[in-house]
Amino acid sequence: MTDEHKPHAPAPMVDEVSEFEVLEIAVRELAIEKGLFTAEDHQRWTEYMHTLGPLPAARLVAKAWLDPEYKKLAVTDGVKASLEVGIDWVNSMPTKFGTPSDYCNLRVLEDTPTLHHVVVCTLCSCYPRPILGQSPEWYRTPNYRRRLVRWPRQVLAEFGLQLPEEVEVRVEDSNQKSRFIVLPVRPEGTEGWTEDQLAEIVTRDCLIGVALPRPGKTANDPRPVRPALKPYHH
Amino acid sequence: MAEINPEYLDLDADMSKRDMDQSPVFLLEKIKQEGRVWGDLCEQYGVKNPDPPWRVTLEATCDMLAENNCRTSDTGEAAQTAEAEKDTKVLDGIERRWEEDHLVKEHYANVPFPENQLLALAHTLIRRGLMDENELARKMKEVDQRLNMT
Repeated sequence: MTDEHKPHAPAPMVDEVSEFEVLEIAVRELAIEKGLFTAEDHQRWTEYMHTLGPLPAARLVAKAWLDPEYKKLAVTDGVKASLEVGIDWVNSMPTKFGTPSDYCNLRVLEDTPTLHHVVVCTLCSCYPRPILGQSPEWYRTPNYRRRLVRWPRQVLAEFGLQLPEEVEVRVEDSNQKSRFIVLPVRPEGTEGWTEDQLAEIVTRDCLIGVALPRPGKTANDPRPVRPALKPYHH
Repeated sequence: MAEINPEYLDLDADMSKRDMDQSPVFLLEKIKQEGRVWGDLCEQYGVKNPDPPWRVTLEATCDMLAENNCRTSDTGEAAQTAEAEKDTKVLDGIERRWEEDHLVKEHYANVPFPENQLLALAHTLIRRGLMDENELARKMKEVDQRLNMT
């Protein structure tokens, strides 16, 4: 028997039902029973959400690094540029006209050697889900949301991103009209790379702006989540 | 230095004025104490997936409650009008997130994500009268029996 025909060991799986899993189902089913939404709409939306992830955004950046004309399109019309990486901000949605929580407006923020962008949503946790998938836990925390706008360099340093003083840091606050991703500067050492190779180093964290792409770095670092010790008070 | 989003200041002022019951919910406190979180289950069973399989369905539930436009059963011009949105929005997404921030800090600070998001959502639904604690407990029992049927 060749290796490829040997039976694979089953992938490990959680073989018990937790109270939290039961709670999630109970909340959903009770909401459906009460007519707050329908099971069909929920299922359709869930199936759509399962298709989302950061790869299209990574590919958009890789294409922009390779093609100056596409880069122009990306920074001037992010929604149109998204089409070339398979994301239709309007018609991909089950509704066929987008949703209020994923407004059909993507802005691609181009970094330069002297300008670095980083994205936040201080109001809640708006995120470009159609092209970037679900937001990470730390992005949702009050700690990140409150402090990034006040002390961007310090917060970025906590992520391990130390930027020289001569690099301006611009924080873009997501809002009810726009979603953002960062188009980082193409790193040195990637000359001659293919689009696939380049896309691999454009991690979710690079697209939010809390990390920079570099050869050999293809995964996000684990991020500790801290409570807001000095949250905003008015 | 960037400023705090003025929209957040307005939201914070508005939400802070509301007379919301801040007390713990017995059912949810029990789950908080006794429930096994995904991280612990992963460690025990050697699973690598960072998110529980129900994370996306939870997100979908939040979207369904918040946005009438997530629904396809009422697509069309009428569904896009402000009036239609007003009529079908059960739980405003921004208000829910504000409450989640506060509930997590107050009651679920030691619970990891997304378990804390789930507890906060259930807490909000109960406190807003969209669900009753006892009926949720009954529903949980029913679901539990169904899932553990052998």
